[in-house]
Amino acid sequence: MQKTKKQSMEKKLEKQYFVMVLPGFIIFTIGLIIPLLLAVRYSVTSWDGMSKIKEFVGLQNYINLWKDADFRSAWWFTIKFTIGNTIIQNVLALLFALALDSGIKAQKLYRTAFFVPCLISSIIVGFVWLKMFSNVLPEFNELLGTNINFLLFGSGETVLSGLLIANNWQWIGYWMLIYLAGLQSVPADLYEAAKVDGAGPISRFFNITIPMLAPAITICVVGITTGSLKVYDLLVASTKGGPGRASTSVIYQTYTTAINGRQYGYGSAMSVTLVLALLLVAVIQVKGLKSKEVQA
Amino acid sequence: MKKKLLSVVLCTAMLVPTLAGCGGGGTDAPAETPAAEEAPATEEAPAATEAETPTAAEEAPAAADGEAVTLTVLAGQSTTDAGIEEMIDEALAKAYPNITLEWECVDWGNDFQPKMQQYMQSGLPDIMIGKAQDVATYAPQGILGEIDAAYLDRGLDAARQNVTIDGKTYGLVYNALYQGVYYNKDMFEENGWSVPKTQDDLQKIIDDCKAKGITPFASHMVDTWSIGNVTMQFAMNDVFNNDPTWGDKFRAGEVSFANDEMMKTAYQYNKLIYDNTYPETFSTEQTDCDAKMVMGEAAMKVSGSWSIQNFLDIDESFNFGIFPFPNQTGDSKLIFEPNITIMTSAESEHQDAINCVLDVLTSDKELAVEIYDYTKTAPMLKDVTPTFANPSQADIDEYASSNMIVDVTLGNNQLVWGGFQEENAKDIAAWLQGDISFEDCLAASDARVDSSSAN
Amino acid sequence: MIIKREKNKEPMSAQPYTKATFITQIIMTVVAVLFVAPILIIINYSFKTKKELYLTSPLSLPSSFQTENYRKAFDKLDLSHTFVNTFFYTLVSVLILALLCGMTAWAIARCKAKFFKFCFIYFIVGILIPFQALFLPIYIIGYKMNLTNTRYGIIFMYVATGISFGVFLMNSFMTTVPIELEEAARIDGCSVFRTYFSVVMPLLKPALATLVIMQAFQIWNDYLLASLYVSKKNLKTLTVAIQSLFSAQSSDYTTAMAAIVISVLPIAVLFMSLQKYFIKGMTVGAVKG
Repeated sequence: MQKTKKQSMEKKLEKQYFVMVLPGFIIFTIGLIIPLLLAVRYSVTSWDGMSKIKEFVGLQNYINLWKDADFRSAWWFTIKFTIGNTIIQNVLALLFALALDSGIKAQKLYRTAFFVPCLISSIIVGFVWLKMFSNVLPEFNELLGTNINFLLFGSGETVLSGLLIANNWQWIGYWMLIYLAGLQSVPADLYEAAKVDGAGPISRFFNITIPMLAPAITICVVGITTGSLKVYDLLVASTKGGPGRASTSVIYQTYTTAINGRQYGYGSAMSVTLVLALLLVAVIQVKGLKSKEVQA
Repeated sequence: MKKKLLSVVLCTAMLVPTLAGCGGGGTDAPAETPAAEEAPATEEAPAATEAETPTAAEEAPAAADGEAVTLTVLAGQSTTDAGIEEMIDEALAKAYPNITLEWECVDWGNDFQPKMQQYMQSGLPDIMIGKAQDVATYAPQGILGEIDAAYLDRGLDAARQNVTIDGKTYGLVYNALYQGVYYNKDMFEENGWSVPKTQDDLQKIIDDCKAKGITPFASHMVDTWSIGNVTMQFAMNDVFNNDPTWGDKFRAGEVSFANDEMMKTAYQYNKLIYDNTYPETFSTEQTDCDAKMVMGEAAMKVSGSWSIQNFLDIDESFNFGIFPFPNQTGDSKLIFEPNITIMTSAESEHQDAINCVLDVLTSDKELAVEIYDYTKTAPMLKDVTPTFANPSQADIDEYASSNMIVDVTLGNNQLVWGGFQEENAKDIAAWLQGDISFEDCLAASDARVDSSSAN
Repeated sequence: MIIKREKNKEPMSAQPYTKATFITQIIMTVVAVLFVAPILIIINYSFKTKKELYLTSPLSLPSSFQTENYRKAFDKLDLSHTFVNTFFYTLVSVLILALLCGMTAWAIARCKAKFFKFCFIYFIVGILIPFQALFLPIYIIGYKMNLTNTRYGIIFMYVATGISFGVFLMNSFMTTVPIELEEAARIDGCSVFRTYFSVVMPLLKPALATLVIMQAFQIWNDYLLASLYVSKKNLKTLTVAIQSLFSAQSSDYTTAMAAIVISVLPIAVLFMSLQKYFIKGMTVGAVKG
């Protein structure tokens, strides 16, 4: 008697919980999951994105992807961009956070200075750096009589570094804040204890700071990686994927193929591939980083 | 529950302006049909005007007799066009106060095609404004409406050909951009250069420029579209002038980029420009490039009318002219590109109202002059002359009167822009920068054959 | 597990100001100047005339502080619409997100049935979906449900694309909510809903603040969804309007620069005035994430 009552009570609760999850579940499914499934469906057709007919072509699009040199080079660029970002942004953000946490004066002012760029949308950031590289910075050459090549967007060899500068300028402040927050929550007595034990600053950094920052590192690494793999906005108003195709990212290539090139089915195959790659990267990263967290 | 309430509130909020918009349209019947009123003033082609007046007059009342209509308009614009929507609204309000246009203005280069793709899923807007080449892309899908001859007759015949498919015309061409080599007239005079007719003439000017420390060409290759644009200009005079069906033959496998000397020559001109422009061209944007041209740092620029606004903004007394880029045979024609092209939806419920809009656009000459002056473009309507000072107009008139002009839509229909010319331009950029060989660049264009036609 | 350092005091009081600190201070000053420089250059540009832009050095000051560019930018951006729209979409979306994500994450954390475990993974996958690559299906769905070119439609999409990260974030906070309180409420006869809204939600406030801040950023600066879903003039957002100012053949950079300043200014002011809460919100996120 008691038991059935409890069960029915639980059922009732479960129903109520279910009602709480439902609205989010529905919105999410309609807004994101169904489009994803649609993309999977289109990816096995030769649809041009316009006509009523969507001819089934099996896995042909995926097979073609393997042979597509432009798609490969788009991946290659995206990977380089992602690795560059993940390393530079994490290291610099952490260094900045450490510097700001080292007891310097007017910390707030620095925080604001580093943070403001990420309030600007990526489209504008791209545009601003286009102007910086092509108009503003070369002016310093004239002023100082130097001959530094500032035209980073102007050649295939330097465009990556130019975009890395623009992207890091925009986001370092954001991740720095997260590291800063993490640093400030490290209990001071841990350091004191280590000092008493005779640990130097470097050993303190690696034995206390880094392990204590593990959750923040996880957020930052996953955030930067997945964000960089999806780079698109930054390119729209700056290099437009050029010169040539030197800075064409996977999403940029997908967009031009599917829309401008009127190969929607093929473009969908590109998106599906990207989703799979992102899933894989995230799973690996979270697993790897979480295991480190546990060790710590 | 809260969500539901919210959406109700939101819906209401959205409805209010719509309702207000409907109420605003008066029932003022247009006593003066602009076409009828303007007719006597036209002397050049009275026959045509008179013939069409009845048609237009017949249609006018249908939409004018009362009910407020809102037409949706998708306008794919270049920045030089942005702003004409207000002029059109104003003119329309005078002639047909019951018709309201609901504009959606997007950038033609980036967003027109995606928007069209979207709307082909959901239903087209009543009116679409794009470029002449769009007709070839969308008309075969069976979604565009035929434009009444009454309105087409008020435009120049030259514009009609390339927006006509199987005898039916789906686009009304409103204005045109001229493309060719813009040159600094004063500089040409000072140095005693005359307009080059052949490649040898051009080479002489280039050599003289170099000797005098002047950059021969201004260019802005950071914009890949500009590479694609000039390549089509070269191809028009060296390929399509000789062989108007080159693209069809290309798809049939009879010719290819790798084996066709004419096409190779056209591609090679890019190298000529690249070798004779300033080294930072891949970091220079259009405005900076145009500024260099105006400031006398460069003598010539392969470009189009879209530069005129810039030229005159920077120096209103800049004296420039235009000539077609010389081809191998020395018979280059000046290129014009039909720009604002009005298309209509085949399935619109408001065909009458659409015709009213077409009527205003083709018959209101004040509006036309206002738009041409604002956009600094050439008219494609009969008997309308813009009043803005265009130093290159004399040159244009000369080529036009000797029938040395050609519509680039021919080339753009043979080899489509999006997905083909645009992609080829990226390869050309890579080749110019030395990242790939010329052969690879040509081979890449050949490999793209399936995307070379809109259909 | 983690004891928070007393944050009311500035950290410098805890650490002595040594020579090393001084050197750090100098280095960071240089870096900060480099960071701010592009912004100063935008502001400088925004006061120049078109001619000055070409004829003078980019580093020189404008000859006179004329506000013509700002007037033009105000006009071209159609601020009375775009600004209000962007603000409205952002505000409503983050509020709905805060409401839904909290609820969803809590239900998932508390209910042990299989469905809820599946839900969690289901939502997490969403973080990884690059909706940029799915724009046509997203549009097709939106159109079929009459969501395109409507205010609630774009808000719906912001909620749909933001919810997975929100649930992920909120879920990691659920351990901070003491279950005893909830049980007490339940024994008092509260329904699940009442329990959530009167007991749990107040406890989640800091986490919700984090969520609101992070999402507000994304939505305020979004370009792709806005250009896809709302293109009618009276529904446009600020980012879309600005983008059209530097499209392919544009020339009016001085106006574009003024437009940038106009668009960034409100959110920058907001950030600076709410910095304290902002940092606090991020702190919770970083420590518990």
